[in-house]
Amino acid sequence: MNIQTEAAGREEITISDAAIDPVTPSPGKYRVRKRKNGTLKTAQRSACRWRTNYQQRIYCSKLVEALRRVRRTEAPPPAEHPHGRSVRETADRVLAVAARGRTRWSRAILADRPIGVKLRRARGAAAAASCSIRRKKSGASDPAGGRRVNQPSLERKAKLLGRLVPGCRKLSLPSLLDETSDYIAALEMQVRAMSALAEILSASGSGAAGDGAVAAGQLESNPPGYSGAGTLQ
Amino acid sequence: MSGRRSRPRQSASYSRITDDQINDLLPKLQALLPEARHQSNDRASAAKVLQETCSYIRSLHREVDDLSERLSELLAATDTNSPQAAVIRSLLM
Repeated sequence: MNIQTEAAGREEITISDAAIDPVTPSPGKYRVRKRKNGTLKTAQRSACRWRTNYQQRIYCSKLVEALRRVRRTEAPPPAEHPHGRSVRETADRVLAVAARGRTRWSRAILADRPIGVKLRRARGAAAAASCSIRRKKSGASDPAGGRRVNQPSLERKAKLLGRLVPGCRKLSLPSLLDETSDYIAALEMQVRAMSALAEILSASGSGAAGDGAVAAGQLESNPPGYSGAGTLQ
Repeated sequence: MSGRRSRPRQSASYSRITDDQINDLLPKLQALLPEARHQSNDRASAAKVLQETCSYIRSLHREVDDLSERLSELLAATDTNSPQAAVIRSLLM
């Protein structure tokens, strides 16, 4: 699976890079070039992409399908209704799929699932232990230099950020900020999509399909000349 | 011991990457945060921006968690009604 996603990522990168800079010689260098030149462009592109309605609708439909599949495979009469945890993981996975493998965090989410959370927790505990030890040492050296106080704290915060975004712990700062901007935009879309979905479900669950239609009309946020609620009635 | 030896190396290489590039990337990162759109963006200390980014991501995570809890309950309720499930699917696609 890793090979496939890597190849897909490389394909995506070569396509976009051909648009930016057609002169570069070898495909192996594309990835490096993209990181160095494209930070602003990628940020704008990613933010715009996650804000479109089209993207949100795609995400919603994929999410519904995935959730249905999960519910069917979990247990036909579920003893307890599916935990929020499994819904969350499904939503994250669908989000990562929607990112189409262009970003590191999406690849990390998709790659991480089968191995399981246990490994990550064990590694996280070990990393946290070593981090606390390092923090104590830097605290001891504080009176030594004024400048050194700023840099470790900045570095610490950058590492915190790297831990929050999946798959970005050992990333240099500019690429980390790249990933972060895309991740934040994607998360915002996820929140919008899921809350809209919850609105629809709760509206239709309360027994009024008409309300559900209105809610869905708001979700689709009409292009001019098309009214979702009108056609459904 | 190895920690002490690596730290000056770490901070040296870190400062080589950061100062210019961070000042370039900070406004872009700040533009993502919801607060930055209301305030004037000149309080751009790197630490503060990083901190706010972290807390913003954490709050987004929490929101997604709450929403998934809600969705799981709703799905448990609505899954029993297949005509409404068909309605939902038609509405979304």
